[in-house]
Amino acid sequence: MSEAPDPVGDRTLRTGPGRLLVAVYAVFALAATARGSYQLATRFDEAPLAYGLSVLAGVIYLVAAVGLARAGRTSRLVALVSVSVEMIGVLVVGALSVLAAGAFPDDTVWSHFGSGYLFIPLVLPVLGLWWILQVHRMDLDAART
Amino acid sequence: MVDWLTMTIQMVSLAMAVWCLVSTFRDQPMLVPHLVGMGVLWLLVLGQVGAITVAMVGGERPGETVMLVSYLATVALLPPACAVWGFMERSKWGPAVIAFACLILPVLMVRVEQLWSPVV
Repeated sequence: MSEAPDPVGDRTLRTGPGRLLVAVYAVFALAATARGSYQLATRFDEAPLAYGLSVLAGVIYLVAAVGLARAGRTSRLVALVSVSVEMIGVLVVGALSVLAAGAFPDDTVWSHFGSGYLFIPLVLPVLGLWWILQVHRMDLDAART
Repeated sequence: MVDWLTMTIQMVSLAMAVWCLVSTFRDQPMLVPHLVGMGVLWLLVLGQVGAITVAMVGGERPGETVMLVSYLATVALLPPACAVWGFMERSKWGPAVIAFACLILPVLMVRVEQLWSPVV
């Protein structure tokens, strides 16, 4: 335990599969934020809740992407929280859009569990959580040896 | 908007995606040929973006100009951004990033085409 100040996680969260995850998160951040803010700007009256949710989703994707890309201990926590919020978001909004369709006159990224986006919004947080956990384990293993 | 160019971009993009997926599964990092491929793809995209810009300066206006311009900016930036991000990673996950980008690009091009000439 001589080189302790350089934990594995500092480098690995953004390398390997993390590299791809960050790219996917960045694209979704852009897609959701751009879509939501455009709709908020042009058709605010039609469905403020749905459009606001899109922007919120976009911001969460952005925070997750930055958290994954920056790859320190704190960033990992930030990534963990934002990915968890995203998981809850896609499940709750997905369920609501099916059960109470009236509340959502227009679609968001999370409506119908992300079916408009090939269900990627549903799969993404699972992969994100798996990856963060994986790196956390590697980090613990490295600390032990 | 040059019609055949959209088709060409989509074909080249999908070919790049397949190539990069093969590289990923063969455990290869991104190499210079991949970068050259992305460069060619980028030039094609820039050509199309340029053609649309010229047409817009010439007076043609699509229904949703702001939306179209933001899509054009995205397709113009996607290839170089992903190429750099993928090239920094010296493992099989580099080509995986490019494959992902090259799978999105054709979809974005379809959206650009719809925005440019909406089906009435």
